[in-house]
Parts: sequence; structure tokens; C-alpha cells
Amino acid sequence: MEFDRRGFLKITGLTLLGLAAKPGWELFSKIEPVELEPGSETLAKKRWAMAVDLKKCWSQEGCRDCIDVCHRIHNVPDLGTLKEEIKWIWQDSYEKVFPEHELEYSEVNYRQKPVMLFCNHCDDPPCVRYCPTRATWKREDGIVMMDFHRCIGCRYCMAGCPYGSRSFNWRDPRPFIKKINLEFPTRTKGVVEKCNFCEERLSQNLLPACVEACKEKALVFGDLKDPESQVRKALQNRIVYQRQPELGTKPKVYYIL
Amino acid sequence: MVDKRQKIIGEDAPLFEHIWKTGKGFYITVSVLGALVLWGLYAYVTQYLNGLTVTGLSRQIFWGVYITNFVFFIGISHAGTFISAVLRVLKAEWRRPISRASELTTVFILLFGVGSVLIDLGRPDRMLYAIRYAHFRSPLLWDVCSITMYLTVSSICLYLALIPDVALLRDLGGKREWFYRILSFGWTGTERQHRRLEKAINFMSILVIPVMITVHTVVSFVFAMTIQPLWHSAIFGPYFVVGAIFSGVASVIVVMAVLRKVYHLEGYIKAVHFNNIGIFLMAMTLLWFYFTFAENITIVYGNEPVHMAIFWSKLTGRFAPLFWLHFVLCFVIPLPILALRRFRTIRGTVIASISIILGMWLERFVIIVPTLTKQRMPVEGAFYIPTWVEWSILAGCISLFMLFYTLFTKVFPIVSIWEIREGREKAVAMVSERVKSYLPEQDTVEAR
Amino acid sequence: MYDGKKIIPGLIIFVALVSFPLWHNVGSGKMNYVPKPKLPADKKECVEPKDYIRTHHKNLLQDWRESVVRKAGTIYVASNKKRYTMSLNRTCMNCHKDKAEFCDQCHNYMGVTNKCWDCHIYPKELKKE
Repeated sequence: MEFDRRGFLKITGLTLLGLAAKPGWELFSKIEPVELEPGSETLAKKRWAMAVDLKKCWSQEGCRDCIDVCHRIHNVPDLGTLKEEIKWIWQDSYEKVFPEHELEYSEVNYRQKPVMLFCNHCDDPPCVRYCPTRATWKREDGIVMMDFHRCIGCRYCMAGCPYGSRSFNWRDPRPFIKKINLEFPTRTKGVVEKCNFCEERLSQNLLPACVEACKEKALVFGDLKDPESQVRKALQNRIVYQRQPELGTKPKVYYIL
Repeated sequence: MVDKRQKIIGEDAPLFEHIWKTGKGFYITVSVLGALVLWGLYAYVTQYLNGLTVTGLSRQIFWGVYITNFVFFIGISHAGTFISAVLRVLKAEWRRPISRASELTTVFILLFGVGSVLIDLGRPDRMLYAIRYAHFRSPLLWDVCSITMYLTVSSICLYLALIPDVALLRDLGGKREWFYRILSFGWTGTERQHRRLEKAINFMSILVIPVMITVHTVVSFVFAMTIQPLWHSAIFGPYFVVGAIFSGVASVIVVMAVLRKVYHLEGYIKAVHFNNIGIFLMAMTLLWFYFTFAENITIVYGNEPVHMAIFWSKLTGRFAPLFWLHFVLCFVIPLPILALRRFRTIRGTVIASISIILGMWLERFVIIVPTLTKQRMPVEGAFYIPTWVEWSILAGCISLFMLFYTLFTKVFPIVSIWEIREGREKAVAMVSERVKSYLPEQDTVEAR
Repeated sequence: MYDGKKIIPGLIIFVALVSFPLWHNVGSGKMNYVPKPKLPADKKECVEPKDYIRTHHKNLLQDWRESVVRKAGTIYVASNKKRYTMSLNRTCMNCHKDKAEFCDQCHNYMGVTNKCWDCHIYPKELKKE
């Protein structure tokens, strides 16, 4: 079989020409829709964080306003069992949230007081590292995002999160949603979900729903990069706790006692 | 015609007969395995339609039997490489009758290792996203790469060693001659071709050994790279590799014993093979114990509360029955059987191996689940009881593996005929030359 | 041909059976069926021209999804320089209000199943429940 260099160059040239035909056509075709999106610099100008003022939260016993509104507007199903529950905000007792705090000789009985827990939207999130498809990633403004279209349900992010913030849809959630909110999609079975700092509300300059719903104003949200923001003011001159800071995840949810 | 056939078969009739003679036992085996496979398939379809709610998994304990199966099956796959590649490189002649059976175990069981992960996915219809949108910082992607590489290299090793035997079957003629002719790749058995094949197999054997070590290390990294207590340990890499070779060699012993009995290969797979591999398995038992001991004593001595909570749940708490059962099965039962010459018979080795296989599955389970019950921020009352779906799928996977294996033995010889013949004709001379080369030269002795 | 008397009739019957959908649809007039999606009464133009949207609406929606979810961009500038919000519910379903009368007409005919509505919800769907 005779196939010399010249022949090879001819065939390569024709192949490249053929491959370039479609992109070239599209390049010069009439329709050129343009999309606008905020660049990473715009997003990076903000750094969202949440502060939880525990004393204000404790002034209302048995209150679940933040949980109820979050789960309602985000179509979080109520599956009723420990096995399959899905929670974006939940509460647990102080002694379990902060096991490192020495409470044995403290005056007030803090141990059983409820502490509100969310996704911490860490600065160095372990969950983001483990996702094989990048269905969860850290946006430039600090929010750890979740793309339900891409999640394959391997649950590795759940294994990575040291705070237990993530829930999995073990079955189709729709039958278990009491009243569907039309403004927000539901999820399908087989994907992982978690608190998203209400990023759909943030993009419309609204505060997260839990922050708005808290009657005691115990939840403070804002931009850490803005010295005048609510959250910066709340964190000033106070001693502030984080969940397991020694793990190096740099969580963005602060607890003020 | 008959003479030519007789010349090719020679004295190795048992090695060919299992391809042509199909007894009642074969049909019964295939029917039973087929039924189990269909049952496993039914269980999976239930899971696909209803979601993973049909398993015993929960928000707290979200990895269970399927991930245990994944680690277990990938572990067993290390056997083939060890026996065919490592023993070949070490020039251990007793590997000859068992190399193909073990290589086949590797190739087929790897499929089920990968399959177990896919079964565990919440959205299996999106499984290709792991390749399309691959995020290489994730240990799962390292898994994808290394297991793919291992499967490729092992399959090539299996095929290369199969070529001369396929050529023999082709020369025998018959209905399947066209099939063997295509697969034999033009093999004519010349000296030159033998040398080339030898080079190729040696190269692939040396290549597959680091790949084998990488594979189970990377599987261990799925756990070791998280910051969960008792998972985040540097020992996981070598620990899993040792555990893999341990369980893998035990599986190969069981496979050897079954094939020997069912296909009347007593002349080829002899007591001495079981003895040698039994000694190696004993060394692995001790090595496995060393790693287990080192890991646990480090945990106990450090006495960190988060770690100790899980440690006690394994030793005296909820998982104590499983933990101690696995220890008995992996160490207490096999060690005396394999260490004492009197018990290291074929039957003894097989009993020890079965005990090890069961114990190693439990070991994987006991590594994965207790950490999840007490990972940071545990929920009270979280418990994990696998459901019928999970057990059925495990049974289905094992049955399908055995089914593939059985069907393979109907098409190809399970003992490597050309390697046996090479051993008979050339190995004795080669080995005596080698031993002579280790000893001082005759002339030097005389000159003195 | 050896055994030709058996093979040729068998072959003809086989081809006839296999091509049954084709000649039956042509004969019974089903080939003339054209799906009639109900267009919105008030709006005259879509986000892009009709021909482009017909072939590319799937890619358009996927690009929108990529942009809204992964890049935080919500404004789409169309080829006619008009701006639209990138949203299936708020933009598309705002005009094409009834999924069954519009989207499903062509999708059912072509045998297309899409998974959008596994998660996204539109008002009419709920009213039926």
C-alpha cells in the first residue's frame, strides 16, 4: 500500500477542513445570542455569612419559625422517619453541637438548649473536594452551591461533611410535600440536598427566608466584606463560636453566646 | 484425523474434556445460578423504580452493603495478579496450573466491583457524568481511572496467556474452529512467536503489579481522604492492599478446589499447590493481623473521645458480635489450620479460605458502618439493618460471577495447557541451570 | 437458488411484516398527521425566531440551565437584542401556559420524554391534582 507523506498531509488537511465546517458555519451564521452573567469578580465582592445569636434564639422556647419557612419555600419533603428525613435547617442540643465546651460547672443549664444548624458554607469545604462530577462547588461569593441536575447520588459529599448538613432523597419527595411552592423546584429521588443560603432570594436582593422569619432577630445575615453589614456588627466585640473549627473547614456560620 | 487430534491432546485429556463433556451437574449449576441472578435483577429493578429507600440505608448511615461489596470485590480481584504476575516474576514454577483460573477471577470480579458502585448510585441514569464532568480532585475519579487501567491490563494479560491454548483448540477443528481461529491471532507456535509472547507477558506482568497495588490503595483513599474518625488514617492504603491480597488468595483457593473436584483435575492441581499457597496465605494472615493490631493499638493509646466512641462500639458495643466474628473468621480459625502441616491439607486450606472470605466481607462492613453511626454529629437511634434488596443483589452479583466463570470453562481450557507443557518439557532444565548458576563454578573448586 | 421456493416467499413475508408500520401509516392517512401545538393568543414572537427555536429549544434551555445554576447569570440577550429572564417557568411557561396543549403535542408525537417536570412545577399541573 503506497501512502507517502504527501498523501498523509492531503488527508489530514481535508479532515481538518471537514471538522472545521460546522464550527465555522456557526461562527458566521446570523443568530448570535449573547448572555450576560455576573463575572467571578462581581460575585467575589461579597462574602456571605450567618450569625446566630443564641441568647435571642433561646428567649422563645419551642420556636421553629426558621425551619418551617425554609422547608416550606424550598419544597423540602416531610418524610417523618429518622431514616429518610431531609432537613435544611434543624436543631440539636448544645452539648452535642459543641461537645468541646466544658459545661460541667457552668451556672446556667446550657446543655439541652437548642442550637440551630445549617450548612456552614465553609471556606474550605470538604464536600466540594469529594464530588466526582462537581455537582457541588463553592461559588465566589462563598455559597456552597448544589446542582441537582448533575448530582449522581453517590453520597460521597455526605461522607465528607463533618457537620452532617446534607440529606439524601431516598425516594420520590413529591408525595411528601405538604404544600408545594410554585416558585421553587422540587428534587427527584436520588440526589443530595442541603441549605443554599437562599441564593435564589439573594439574587433578588432579599434576605434568606429564615432570617426574615425569625421574630427575635436571632439570625443575622450579611456580607463579611462590608464593614457596615449586620453580620459584621453582630460579630464585633463578642466571643464567637464555630462548629469544630479545628477541622480547618473555616465555616461561615457563627454562634454568639 | 484422529491421530492429529490425539497428538494435540496428548496426555492432557482432562484439560480439554471440560470443554466438550457437559454433565447433569453443569445444567443444574447454571439453572440455580441463573435463577439467583434473575432474583437479584428483580431486587435491583425494585430499587431502580422506588429509589434507595428499599435498602436499610439512612441519612446517618448512607453507605452499607453496596460499598462493602465494592471494596470486597475489588479486594478479591488482587488474587489473579498476585498468582499469575507476581509468582511469574518470582519464577515460582508451581503457579503453572492455577494462573489462568486466578487471572480469570480477577477480570470477572472487577466487573462486579464497578457494578456495586453503580448499583449504589442514586441516579444511575447519570453514571456517565462521572466521566463527562470528571472532577479529578475526587478520590472516586482516581478510582475510576485506576480500576479501568487494572481491568484493561488484566484482560490483556489473560488474553495473551490464552493465545497458545486457543491455537490448540483451533487446530483440533470442529464447529467452533472459526471462533478460535479469530482469537488465536495467527499463532503458529514458532520459536520467534514464543519469544515475543514471553516478552509481552513478562512486560504486562511487571506492569500489572504496581497497578494492582495502586488500585486498592486508591479504593482505600475513598475512606482515608475524608476527615471522619477511624477512616482518616494513613494505614488504610497498605492495610487495604494486604486485606485484598489476603481475601483474593483465599478466593482463588476455593476456586481451585471447586474446579479440581468438578472437572477431575486432580492430576494437575495437586496437594503441593494447596500446600504452597496455604503457606503464603498463612503469611498473609499474620500480616493482616499485624496491620489490624497496629491500627487498633494506635487508636487505643491516643484515647481521643471521638475515636474511642467508635472503637468501643466495635469492641464491646453494638458492633461487637460482627467485629469478634470477623476476627475469629480471619485469624483464629485460619491460622492454626494453615500453620500446622498436619492440617494444611486440601480440605484444611479450603476451610480456612472460606472462613477468610466471610471474615473479610465482615471486616469491610465493620470498617465502613461503625464510623458512620458515630461520625461527627451523630443522631441517636441510627441503626443499619440491610434489607432483602441488598442481600439479593449481593447474591445476584456472586451468582452472576460464578455463571460467567462456568460459561468461560465451556469455551476455553481453565488450566493453561501450554504452560503445563512448557513446564514439563523445558522448566526442569531451566530450573536446574538456574540453581547451578547460584552455586560456585566447578572449575574454581577443582583449581583450588 | 437452493431451496429458493421456500426462501423467497419467506423473505417477502418477512419484509412485509417488518415494514408494516410504514405502509400502514401511508395507507390509513396517519402520515398526514401534523401535531398542532396551541400557540399563545396574545404574543406573536418567541425568544428567538420560530425556526431556530424549533430546532434549538432543547440546547437553549440547557444553556440557560448552565448559566442560571452554575454561573449565576439570569439575563438572556436574544438575537433581536431584547432581554429575557432565563427561566423555564417564568419566561417560557408564561406564554405557553398549558403544557398538555403546547409542549406535549409535539413531544408525544415524536416520542420525546424530558425530565424537566420531574423537578420543575407549573401551575396547571398542580391545579389538576
